Amino acid sequence: MKPPSQRTLRIVVVNTVPDGHAGMQAVDAQAQRNAALRIGLLESGYDIVASLPADIFLPERIAQIQPDMIIIDSESDARDVLEHIVIATRDEPRPIVLFTDDQTPTSVDAALAAGVSAYIVDGLQAERVKPVLDVALARFKREQKLLDELSDTRRQLAERKLIERAKGVLMAKNRLTEEQAYQRLRSMAMNKKLKLAEIAQRVLDVEDLL
Amino acid sequence: MTPTKTVIKVGFMPLTDCASLVMASVLGLDEKYGIKLELSREHSWSGMRERLLKGDLDAAHVLYGLLYGVEMGIGCAATPMAVLMNLSRNGQAITLSKSLAEQGVTNLEALAALVRRGNRRFTFAHTFPTGNHAMFLSYWLAAGGIDPLRDVQLVTVPPGQMASNLAAGHMDGFCAGEPWSGAAVQGGSGFTAATSQDVWPDHPGKALGTSAAFADANPHACRSLIAAVLEAGRWIDDSDEHRFAAAEVLASPAYVGGRARAIAARLQGDYDNGLGRHWRDPDPLQFHAGGEANFPYLSDAMWFLTQHRRWGLLREEPDYEAVASRVNRVGLYREAALLAGVPTPSSLLRSAVLMDGKVWNGRDPRSYAASFAIHKRALK
Repeated sequence: MKPPSQRTLRIVVVNTVPDGHAGMQAVDAQAQRNAALRIGLLESGYDIVASLPADIFLPERIAQIQPDMIIIDSESDARDVLEHIVIATRDEPRPIVLFTDDQTPTSVDAALAAGVSAYIVDGLQAERVKPVLDVALARFKREQKLLDELSDTRRQLAERKLIERAKGVLMAKNRLTEEQAYQRLRSMAMNKKLKLAEIAQRVLDVEDLL
Repeated sequence: MTPTKTVIKVGFMPLTDCASLVMASVLGLDEKYGIKLELSREHSWSGMRERLLKGDLDAAHVLYGLLYGVEMGIGCAATPMAVLMNLSRNGQAITLSKSLAEQGVTNLEALAALVRRGNRRFTFAHTFPTGNHAMFLSYWLAAGGIDPLRDVQLVTVPPGQMASNLAAGHMDGFCAGEPWSGAAVQGGSGFTAATSQDVWPDHPGKALGTSAAFADANPHACRSLIAAVLEAGRWIDDSDEHRFAAAEVLASPAYVGGRARAIAARLQGDYDNGLGRHWRDPDPLQFHAGGEANFPYLSDAMWFLTQHRRWGLLREEPDYEAVASRVNRVGLYREAALLAGVPTPSSLLRSAVLMDGKVWNGRDPRSYAASFAIHKRALK
């Protein structure tokens, strides 16, 4: 399978609208921040599939759009709404990128320690957006690969347990040696075009029924 | 030797229960113990968590459940954390929409009956997936026979947006702290169906949290911080006048913002449920209660772990006792309490009867977590 190019990434930007008490100045400043980010993304060749308001419907919209990456202002109070999505989808996480014009120096590593896939863009200059997103994605993919490998190992272990139990059943029932039981399982799997673990599961299911 | 830390950056969320931290600074109690609090008003729990872990903040006013979520790695990388003390107890609320009341739904039984009829989807909001409000809301719904994860939809909404979402009909109810629950009643969009002290009398509220690394490296600063906040809590709880003075300070936009009288009402225990019932609550939000509200009981901490386990946020059985005793810094607290002249109990566990009659005493957290009919523990 060909890895998707960056241009096909589905990016959702969550817009923060300051509440009424914040005053027009804050609303304008926020609009400028949002615009600067969008320009930065577009100039870097990223497509934005949606720009969503940070409201109660955000989780539903994100579930529909299934973006590859979500970008939100680090100062937004809607970040806790996103936390809901992080936990609801923790088996298939997606990177969440934070942007901020806070000038305190922050390394990507420090942001990573703070939570899964949270990254900071210092300042909003267009030329800075792309490298940070590239690092964010690379880190995210690497972490995912490690997690996938871990769950692969767990699955293999579980499969091996199934096969061992199925072998035990065959040995007891048909008075076979371990090697013979294994060969029996193998030939059943080949005849039925199933994986060894799947055939083992069927043997155990039948045993359960009887 | 590391130099002794004297300036401590503490994050808080604009909620009434941040009062003891704010008053420790306003009354100069921090300086009495040789430290200087630098308070930072935060925008979201997620942002505060991140700034705490990055070291932008040294300590924070934090949802007890959230801090344990970080320790256990729920929704973020697992990071060793520390609870220095409880900041408060009681004083949160479950608010339902006025339109439910107009249909005659004014209590949990009526709500359960309506949800069972299943004519539409019901939505309830809390403030953070691992936090206290999520756990109290879920507990309350489940005690009424409503499965919070199957029968209704739960969402996370910042507390300041609760009342407007309720008024707009986007949701049917919410669980949050003050002044936001009182604001929804005063604004006419909701009524108080239950206070959090109805769910669990004298439940723990916000914790004073740090990273374990900070607590390990700065025991002296931590002791001073605890002692100063203990004195501030004692001062607030001392009289109605002090509570009102705290409300006036919190009304400043630098802290919570809003009208002092509106903040003062529930801070002083004056409740109006929005349906014509007024009462003086004997168990309102408390910041000290002779130290009872502040002691970092291990049973308080373990309760959140049992509920995280109950709702499947924790997928495996944690070592409840080991986790709670490494996170809650009881030793530091006892030393600080001695400095501030606050008595401490000898037992690390306390007992309570929750709204459904179940007893929680911290003695057998595994059985307790497994004892609920409505749950989402993974099936083995």
